[in-house]
Amino acid sequence: MKSNRWVFIVLTLIAGISLGLAYGWLIDPVDFFDLTPDTLRADYKADYVLMVAEAYRASQDPGLAARQLAVFGSQSPTSIASQGLDFARANGFDPSDIALIQELVTALQAWSGLP
Amino acid sequence: MRRIPLDLLLALLAGLGLGLLYSWVLSPAQVVDSAPVALRSDFKDQYRSAIAAAFNSTGNLDRARARLNLIGDTDPIEALNAQAQRMIASGKFNKRTRSPRLPLPSRRETLSPRRLNLQRRTRSQRRSQLPLRVKRFPHPQRKRSFTSTPEVSPTQTIIFESTPRPTRTPIPTLGSPFALNGQESICDSNLPDGLLQVLVLNPKRRQLPGVEIRITWDGGEDQFFTGLKPELGNGWLRISS
Repeated sequence: MKSNRWVFIVLTLIAGISLGLAYGWLIDPVDFFDLTPDTLRADYKADYVLMVAEAYRASQDPGLAARQLAVFGSQSPTSIASQGLDFARANGFDPSDIALIQELVTALQAWSGLP
Repeated sequence: MRRIPLDLLLALLAGLGLGLLYSWVLSPAQVVDSAPVALRSDFKDQYRSAIAAAFNSTGNLDRARARLNLIGDTDPIEALNAQAQRMIASGKFNKRTRSPRLPLPSRRETLSPRRLNLQRRTRSQRRSQLPLRVKRFPHPQRKRSFTSTPEVSPTQTIIFESTPRPTRTPIPTLGSPFALNGQESICDSNLPDGLLQVLVLNPKRRQLPGVEIRITWDGGEDQFFTGLKPELGNGWLRISS
C-alpha cells in the first residue's frame, strides 16, 4: 500500500515536470531581445537581401553590399545573397525583385572571385 | 467530495517548478525565426540604414514604410531622425548611409538652406512622378507579391532635373529661405558666458536638423550645423565662446 503511494507521487511529479516543460517551451517560451540578425526568420532575411539588392542597384558597389550582408555573421555575403535568391524564387517574389537579387548575387560572385 | 492528498499536490507543484526551471533557465527554447523587432538596437540601426538605402534607390515609399513598421518603433520617423542625428554626430554620415529624413548628399556642400529647398522640390516632384503603388506591402511570411521596383533609367533622371512636369503641389518660389523670428537676450548666472543658441524651424514649425549656420565675428568666421545635440531638439544649435 505504501509503495503504491510512492508510485502515485512519482507519477504526479513526472506529470508536473511535463506540464512545466510544455508551458516553458511551447505555451509561454522565454522572450528574447537584443538578438543578432542571424536569428531572423528566413523571409526577413530574404527581405533584407532584397533591400541590399535595391541599394546595390543605385550604388553599384559590391563591397558596400557585402558589408551590409555581413551582419548575418560567419557566412559569406555571396552565400547569404544566394540563400535569399533561393527563398525569393521559392516563395513567389516579384520577378523584378528576383532579378535585382540575381544581379546582386552575380556582382558578389564576381567581386569575391567565388563561382 | 474527495480532497487531493497533500503529498500528491506537493509532488505536482515540485514537478511544475522543476519543469519551468529547466525550460526557462537551464535550457530555454532556441532562438530561431525571430523578427526585426527583437534585434539589438545597433542591428536595428543597420536595418534602418538598409531600408533608407533601398528607398533611396527605388523611391518606393510604401515598401519603406512597411519595412520600418517591422522594426516596431513607436514613431518610425522620429527613430530615423534620431539615428540620422547620431550618425552625423559620430561622423559616420556619408552619401551611402544617408537617411530619407536627411536627403543631403554631403555635409559641407549641400546643407545650405537654399540647397535644402531645391532638395525638397526635387523629392516632391519625384514622389509625384514615380508610380508609387497603393498596394499594401504584405507580411513577409505570407505569400509575397511585391510591387515591382520602379525602373529609374538615365532618361528619367534627366527629366527630373531639367524639365519637370507639372505637379499638383505648388512649388514654393525660391527666395530668402529663413527669416529671423525673434531674438532674446537671457541674463542667467547658471548659463556660461557667451552662449549662443539658435533654433531653426520650417514653415510648419518643425525643427530642422542639418542646417548650416555661418557665424562671423571680428576677425573670424566658422560654420555650424543644427541638430548635433539631439537631447535639445533636432533644430537646435548651441555654441559658446
